[in-house]
Amino acid sequence: MRQYELVLILQPDLDEASFNAALDKVKGWISEGEGTIEKVDIWGKRKLAYPIRKQTEGQYALLTVQMEPSFASTLEGNLRLLEPLMRFLVKLVE
Amino acid sequence: MSDEISNGAEQMAPRRYMARPKFCAFCAEKTLVIDYKQSDFLKKFITDDGKIRPRRQTGTCAKHQRELARAIKHARHIAILPYAGDIWFDGPRPHRTYTTPERQS
Repeated sequence: MRQYELVLILQPDLDEASFNAALDKVKGWISEGEGTIEKVDIWGKRKLAYPIRKQTEGQYALLTVQMEPSFASTLEGNLRLLEPLMRFLVKLVE
Repeated sequence: MSDEISNGAEQMAPRRYMARPKFCAFCAEKTLVIDYKQSDFLKKFITDDGKIRPRRQTGTCAKHQRELARAIKHARHIAILPYAGDIWFDGPRPHRTYTTPERQS
């Protein structure tokens, strides 16, 4: 098990319910892959440094996760297919 | 057109010496951590164009420059830092300090 940081940028026009639904989906994948979520930090709406999918803002969330390194690529594959997710970053914490 | 460019290069002001710290800020201050999430802090290490500032300007040591570059690249990916300057800024832009001379045919 190693510690990872997961930054998610979701569409700005999502309402709270669909934002939480998307977040729960990600959390579900992590617990399925036998990872544990240590912390969920929601930054809220933030201006992007450059447009992504023609949006100037994004809703940020930062998850601190313990998971197996082998699971990281599976998770990335899942995240890539999550429609309201504009951008993500999976980073190992040294 | 090409004449103007070659003249421009000759008239360019001599490079000014830029004062820089003699020591790596991260070696001197061990408590400083390089984190890709701290956009305001990382902004000190990029130019107005959004480029990573060279070691010779910031005084950062090789080890920390590598860490810094990685952090800046991560920050760019998650749209915390720009890839090419502040693109939301509208107003007069400063002149580029260097342009590639046009090729003579």
